[in-house]
Amino acid sequence: MTMTHPGLPDFWGLVIIGFILLGVLWTLFSPAPIKIRTSVLSLASIPVIGTGMRNLVANRWLLLSLKFVMVGFFLLIIFAGLFGTPIPERNIATVLTWNLWWSGLVFSIFFLGSAWCAVCPWDALAQWLVRRKLWRRAEPNNSLNIKVPRWLANVWPALLMFIALTWLELGVGITVNPYATAAVSLLMVVLATASLAIFQRKAFCRYFCPVGRTVGFYSQLAPIELRPIDNDTCASCKTLDCYHGNEEVEPCPTWLVMGRLKQNSYCTSCGNCTQSCPHENIAWRFRPPSVEALHSARPHWDESWFMIGLLALTGFHGVTMMPFWETWMSQFAQLTGDSGRLLPSFTIGLLACIAVIAAIYSILIEVTRKITGTDLEYKRLFSTFAFVALPLAFSYHMAHNLNHLIRESVGISAVFSNPLGVDTVPLSMMEKHERHLTMWISQDALFTIQAGLMIFGFWIALQVIRHRGLSVIAINNKLAGVKLLPMLTFAIGITSFHLWLLMQPMIMRM
Amino acid sequence: MNRSGYRLQALGFRLKQSLHAFRFSYGLRPAACIFLLLLVETANAHHVLGRPAYSLNEDSNTPPSMQVETQIGDYFVTYMIFPAFPKAGERGRVNLYATRIDNGKAYSGEVTFKVRDDVYFGNDNSETLGSQLPDDSVFRQGFEFSSNGEYIITAEFTEAGEPYIIDFPLRIGPPSSIGPIGIAVGSIVIILVGVNLVQRKRLLTSKIRNAHEETP
Repeated sequence: MTMTHPGLPDFWGLVIIGFILLGVLWTLFSPAPIKIRTSVLSLASIPVIGTGMRNLVANRWLLLSLKFVMVGFFLLIIFAGLFGTPIPERNIATVLTWNLWWSGLVFSIFFLGSAWCAVCPWDALAQWLVRRKLWRRAEPNNSLNIKVPRWLANVWPALLMFIALTWLELGVGITVNPYATAAVSLLMVVLATASLAIFQRKAFCRYFCPVGRTVGFYSQLAPIELRPIDNDTCASCKTLDCYHGNEEVEPCPTWLVMGRLKQNSYCTSCGNCTQSCPHENIAWRFRPPSVEALHSARPHWDESWFMIGLLALTGFHGVTMMPFWETWMSQFAQLTGDSGRLLPSFTIGLLACIAVIAAIYSILIEVTRKITGTDLEYKRLFSTFAFVALPLAFSYHMAHNLNHLIRESVGISAVFSNPLGVDTVPLSMMEKHERHLTMWISQDALFTIQAGLMIFGFWIALQVIRHRGLSVIAINNKLAGVKLLPMLTFAIGITSFHLWLLMQPMIMRM
Repeated sequence: MNRSGYRLQALGFRLKQSLHAFRFSYGLRPAACIFLLLLVETANAHHVLGRPAYSLNEDSNTPPSMQVETQIGDYFVTYMIFPAFPKAGERGRVNLYATRIDNGKAYSGEVTFKVRDDVYFGNDNSETLGSQLPDDSVFRQGFEFSSNGEYIITAEFTEAGEPYIIDFPLRIGPPSSIGPIGIAVGSIVIILVGVNLVQRKRLLTSKIRNAHEETP
C-alpha cells in the first residue's frame, strides 16, 4: 500500500481563491505603481553587529570550516550510497540528499539568498583539486583558462541540466536509489572539476550548474543581498579588486563587478569581493524581497526561458506525485507500446509539460503585444514579463517541498545514528503510520504556511506584472489595468493549477 | 494487429539492454493520447512503475522482499524477489504475477525462467532455471547461486501467439561500489593530467618564443 499526504483543505483553497479575486480587482483598478524607493538596511551600519558582521564575512576560516563540514557530509553521502543499504529510507545518502537538502535548499534561499553556493561541496572539491589551494589565490597555470565559447555563455546549459536532473529524479527515480544518488553526486563533481580545469573562472557555477542557477534566480526574491556600502566609493575605484582579485584573493568567480551589480542571479556569495575590496566597501544588507524581480533585474532572453522552465518543472514535480499520474502514464504507454519503466512515456510527459507552459506564456505575451500595440519587439516583452514566473514557481516550490520536509524527514535522526543502514529492514507499515502522524509541526500549521506561501507568491506576481507593465504599457503614466489581463490570466491560471495540485493527496516519497 | 512480441528489461541503468530490449509495437495515436491525458482518474497508487521497492511482511517472520511493478504489452507484471538481498549459497525465490491491464484477469499459462550473466560483452548464454505453472496465480521459481555477481533473470510466456519476454536484473551479494568511484577518479585524473600537459606545452612554447624574440 502506498501512503499519501493529505492535500490542503477546502477552507484554505477558498481563502486563496478569495485573495486571488481581490488581488486581480486591485490590479485592474488601482492607480499605477509609484517608482520603487528601495530602502535597505546594511548590516555593516548596525552598531556592534556591523563590526561583527564585517569580521565574519572577511574571515576566511569561517567559510573554509563550513566548506569542510559540507564536503564531509558530501563524502559521507557518496560512501553510504555506494556501500550502504539500497533501502532508501534507511540510507543517509537518499534521506540527506533528497529529503533534507533538496527539499530544504529552497527555504535557505528564502532566508539566505545564494548562501548555499558559498559552501557548495561540488565547487569546493573542484576548487581544491584544480587550484590545489584551500582558499588563497592559485597559480593561473592550473587551469587552461579558455574563454567560454559564446554559444555556451548563457543559462541554456543550466536549463538543459535542470531538465536532465528532473528526468533522473522523477523518471529514473534516483531519489529512491542511494547508489544512483551517489553516482550522480560524483558526476557533478567531475563536471565541476572539468569546467574549472578548462574554462576561465567558475563557468560551471555561472552557466552550467542547474542548482546554482535555480538558487541564483530564486535569490532575486531573497530579502538579503551582497552590495557595496557606498556606491560612490565603487564609482571612483580604479583597481576593481572585486572583479580582478588581488594577490591573495581570487577574483569574482562569475565575472561580477560589485559597483554595477543589480541582481543576485549570478552572485555565489563566495565572499571574495568582501575579502579583496581595499575599501571594505562590500557588505550584506537587508532589502525588500522581490525588489529585483519587480524592477532591478535586467531581462535577458536565455534567463527568461530559464525562469519559464523553472515554473514548468516545479509544477511537473507536483503532477508526478499525484496518484493519477501513474494511471496516465500506464494508459499512454499502452497507446504507444511503451514497456518497462515507461521512460519514453515519462520523457514525453516531461517535455509536454514544459511545452504547454511555454506555449501558454508565449501566446499570452503575443496577446499582450496586440492589445497594447507596443513597439517593443516580441523577445523583449517575453523577457520583461518572464519575471512573473519566479514568485509563482518559488512559492509553489516551497509549499510543495514543505510536505517532503515536514512529513518525510521525521526519521532523520535514525539515519544519522546508522548512516549506511547496516542490518536495517524497510519501514514497516506501523513506522510509516507513526511518521505520518508525528510531524515536525502540526498539520494545521503546515497548511497555514502553505496557504500563506501561495498568497505570497501570487501577490509578488501581481506586483511584478504591475511594475514591469508600467515600463511597457503605461499610458500618460497611468497603468491601463485591462491591458494587463493576459498576464493576469497567466498568473491566475498558474496559481490555480498549483493550488489544485496542493489540494490533492500527494504520494509519500519514501 | 501485427505484433512481433514484447521484450522488457525492467530495472536498473542498463542502456546496453535497452538497445535491444524494447520493441514498440503500436504507433502513437495523438488524439487518443490527448483524450486519455485529459481524463483524470482516481486510482489506487502503487509503486512507480519499474522501480524497485523494498517491503516487509509484518505478518510473517520472513526477511524483506524486493518488489517491482511494471507493464508490458497487455499485462501488468509484478515480480518479487525473496530475500531482497540474496547472497551466494543461499536459496532464494522469484515470484511473478501477471494480470491483463484491460480486465485484471491473471495469466494462467506457463512461465519459463532463465538466467544469464549480466555482462556488457561476451557471454550471452542463458541457462533455464525452470518452467512453472501458476500456484494461486503466482509463478514461483527458486534459485541458488554459487557466486556473487550481477545476473539477468528472464521470464518468458506466450499469450495469443505473442511472446512476452521480461528481463530483470538480480544482484547476488553486495554491489560493485568501486565502479562509480573508479570512473570519477579516473576522469578527474585524466582531466588534471591533460590540463597539466597542455599547460607545460604552452609554457615551453612561450619560453621558446621569448627566447627567439630576445635573440638579436
